[in-house]
Amino acid sequence: MSAFYQGSLVPLAVLVWPLLVGLVPVVPRWRARAVRVLPLAPLPALGFAMAGAPGELFLPDLMLGVHLAAVPGATLFLAMTALVWTVAGWHAALTLRAGPQAGIFAGFWCLTLAGNLGVFLAGDVVTFYLAFAAVSLAAWFLVVHDRTAKALAAGRLYITLAVLGEAALLVGLMIGAAAADDLRISSVREALSDAPMGQLGLAALVVGFGIKAGMVPLHLWLPVAHPAAPVPGSAVLSGAIVKAGLIGMVLFLPQLSGWQDVLIVLGLVGGFGAALWGLTQRNPKAVLAYSPVSQMGLLLVLVGTGSGGVAYYALHHGLAKGALFLGVGVLIAAATRQQRRAVLVVAGIVALSVAGLPPAGGALAKLAAKDGLPAVLVLALTLSGVTTTLVLGWFLVRLAQLEARPEPRHLWRGLFAGCMVLAALALVLPWVLWEQASALPLHYPLRSVNLLAGFWPVLLGIGCVALVCWRNPPALQPGDMLALLPERGMVVGPKQGAEGRLRRGATARYRRMALRALLRSRRADIPLQPWPRAGLVLFAGALALAALIGRPG
Amino acid sequence: MNAALPVLILLSSLVPAGVTFFLAQDSHTLRNTLNLGGAVVKLGLIIWMLFAVAGGASYEASLPLAPGLVMLLRVDALALLFISLSATLWFLTTIYAIAYFGTKAELSRFFGFFSLCVAATTGLALSGSLISFFIFFELLTLSTWPLVAHKQDKPSLSAARVYLAYALPGSAALLWAIIWLESATGPVLFTEPPDLSALDPGALRGIFALFIIGVGVKAALVPLHGWLPADMAAPAPVSALLHAVAVVKAGAFGVVRVIYDVFGASNVAALGVGEPLAILASVTIVWGSVRALQQDEIKKRLAFSTVSQVSYIVLGAALASPLAMIGGLVHLIHQGLMKITMFFCAGIYDERAGVRKITELNGMGARMPWTSVCFSLGAMGMIGLPPLAGFVSKFYLGLGGLEAGAPWVLGVLVASTLLNAAYFLPLLYRLWFLPAAEDARGDERAPALVVPAVVTATAALGVGLLAASPISPLGWATLIVAREYGP
Repeated sequence: MSAFYQGSLVPLAVLVWPLLVGLVPVVPRWRARAVRVLPLAPLPALGFAMAGAPGELFLPDLMLGVHLAAVPGATLFLAMTALVWTVAGWHAALTLRAGPQAGIFAGFWCLTLAGNLGVFLAGDVVTFYLAFAAVSLAAWFLVVHDRTAKALAAGRLYITLAVLGEAALLVGLMIGAAAADDLRISSVREALSDAPMGQLGLAALVVGFGIKAGMVPLHLWLPVAHPAAPVPGSAVLSGAIVKAGLIGMVLFLPQLSGWQDVLIVLGLVGGFGAALWGLTQRNPKAVLAYSPVSQMGLLLVLVGTGSGGVAYYALHHGLAKGALFLGVGVLIAAATRQQRRAVLVVAGIVALSVAGLPPAGGALAKLAAKDGLPAVLVLALTLSGVTTTLVLGWFLVRLAQLEARPEPRHLWRGLFAGCMVLAALALVLPWVLWEQASALPLHYPLRSVNLLAGFWPVLLGIGCVALVCWRNPPALQPGDMLALLPERGMVVGPKQGAEGRLRRGATARYRRMALRALLRSRRADIPLQPWPRAGLVLFAGALALAALIGRPG
Repeated sequence: MNAALPVLILLSSLVPAGVTFFLAQDSHTLRNTLNLGGAVVKLGLIIWMLFAVAGGASYEASLPLAPGLVMLLRVDALALLFISLSATLWFLTTIYAIAYFGTKAELSRFFGFFSLCVAATTGLALSGSLISFFIFFELLTLSTWPLVAHKQDKPSLSAARVYLAYALPGSAALLWAIIWLESATGPVLFTEPPDLSALDPGALRGIFALFIIGVGVKAALVPLHGWLPADMAAPAPVSALLHAVAVVKAGAFGVVRVIYDVFGASNVAALGVGEPLAILASVTIVWGSVRALQQDEIKKRLAFSTVSQVSYIVLGAALASPLAMIGGLVHLIHQGLMKITMFFCAGIYDERAGVRKITELNGMGARMPWTSVCFSLGAMGMIGLPPLAGFVSKFYLGLGGLEAGAPWVLGVLVASTLLNAAYFLPLLYRLWFLPAAEDARGDERAPALVVPAVVTATAALGVGLLAASPISPLGWATLIVAREYGP
């Protein structure tokens, strides 16, 4: 037998550690307070990312041969994921009420985290599928945690789409693996472009990843799940978990396969459409839920163009979106006018960063992304600043009107500090990583043309926000296109009718008739004497067979 | 020694069967010792043989029955795959059954026929010729009947009648096929493929169809599956071992033997009967799942799920590409482990909490955590979530379907995945998320019931997690395909 492993065990430890933390609630005595350890779960991953995600690991005996290696851009993705999960874990530890439900939340939180980290470390398709399944399905528990009717309905939509996505993904991966005759992701990607059923495989992958990444029109779950999930759950869902779909697109879509154009078109639709649709929402979390759809749309455009700035942009977006969602929680917990004002200021600054106002981190992310893009898309990216400002401005307006459920002062401070950390990182980290992520000099973002391109869309956007506040937009249900689906009642009735017909249907009737005919001949009265009957049937059968076979043939 | 081993393995269940019939109802200790002892001896012998066969050894024993009729027992890698599964699960089910029945009535009859069933399954696996296969196939049919009828109440007796009504015509078809084939080719040994040139393709197709009808009844291929859900009136250990492992697997195993050792994969392809069989298996997979969705009794839902899942094995065999074959063979083990876990758990819910309906499962997770975790693992494996066993089978079957030029198999697998999720996830939701009923009762202070379920659930997780290691079922299935059916 070959060695159990080859390479470094560090990547495995990064993934196993959250799973071990996830076992804490299994111990009954620790269950009620298990959420308190959540901030610890992502720490090894953070260290690993800061060290540059070194090392590869091959475990030949595990599953179908597990291969762990950092994917392109893994350091940025891992750092962002670990940071968002750490701070969101901190928020959860402070706010979630202790009890058995918190234990369930804690366990599946860690499983989701392990899956979320795993997609950035998977080197083979089966490991990737496992990680993706973990992050997708376990996140259901984060959505339904409150157990309200709304949360459960959101959970139903979420799990339906997640299972569909898993199935689509499996089809794509199997087609790729069969064509490549190998399970490594790089071989599968190469094989997919000209495999016999490669186009179907790619379509399935785009659907599977698109659901997770909130690609229009598969984004339905985001605006429904976010308002229903507890605040830390929304933060990781929109900040980190959607990136699992993104990295899937990056890893599996071969260059120049024709699907890039699809991504660009759908990305642009999402990028602008979702932001505008967000204006029809009243719940700030629902407004905010349309922002990741819009930002992920822009990221998909970048994936479609093969831009190198995807991971860098995703880093900023993840941190900023995490900060904004946590901000909602912090504002709800605020007791005084002062506290509310502080939260709104922080959220406002982060929102401006996402919109690309220089010199915040978001402006750098946009600049790095624009590098090498065709002029049309550069313009689109600049213009997206207007819609982003608009939707996030509207979010702030709605946020300011949110009713508070004040928490004690020390608790609020803890929550605020977490939000501040993510906000500060979102603003500053892109500066620190600029030279690593882009080939451009450090003073490039400060050139006047770039400053101007950052400023005017934001100013225009703010003007639009004022316009929107003046003429209130219509309020619509979250989940936009869900309204196009048939109502539950319209489906259930015919379904039950069909099932009833099936149950009473022809097959069952004929079967019963045939059986009755078979059994009518003689029913044994003494139950344990089947032999004569069995013998008789066999004998008769054998006679009939003999007669048939006796003929020359 | 080489000739004695297969006989010894057979006797390790046959002797306890024979003796148990004559034991008094209240000699519990002796009966339990005998049955458990037989199971342990058998397990030991099989483990020993596993190592020997992996090293290339083979065992063979022939017993003349009548002039021209030789019972041939032969151990090859495929036979070992099946008997190691049935021996392991027999051992666990015996423990479970002893605890399940306690001191209820007619136990000597039950355990006698129970051991006889296992002996029949073992003999079936070890059969080296068609005629010995048929003898054990019949023995299995007849020794199962008293087990299904064990409770002797009305539903059990009617279920048992339904079983015979399906099984006997199936046996007749099988016998017909064997006589038709052997009248042209002489006795068929599985080691040497028979010379089929004496028969014209039309006749061969007819023989193949008869074979499939014969073994298809046991494998619960649609439309021959009706007995399996009806048989759920039987006690839980019977459903667990017989309806998840022994009987249905005997049918699936028969399909594999017929395709690979009687006809040969190339002949099956040349006759053009592989694809219709694959389509039939696919229909069974989907139809079984659709019907499972409509059941509100736990065991019935599991039964239809078995109908669906066993056809994965048939599908793998019928596609006849190496990867599909591996996927099918490994599912023989994987499905056995997952489904027996679920039947064990269903029995525990029934026995300890009186829960039979799906709607009564609400909140059982908190009350019976070990059972519910095992049940959940089994269900997630059935859906095909990695790293559980079901994922491995499904992945190989999908790759095999593409390899065999039958990409529609992917559609079947996706449909099966979605349907499995649709009928198992609501159960898990009830178990863990809905509040228990006011008058809910039940506990799991019955280690002899719970431990077997924990062992099989752990195994279902383990064989998926360590699938790539050479000693896993997947490794063994790969060895079989490479050694016996490889190019």
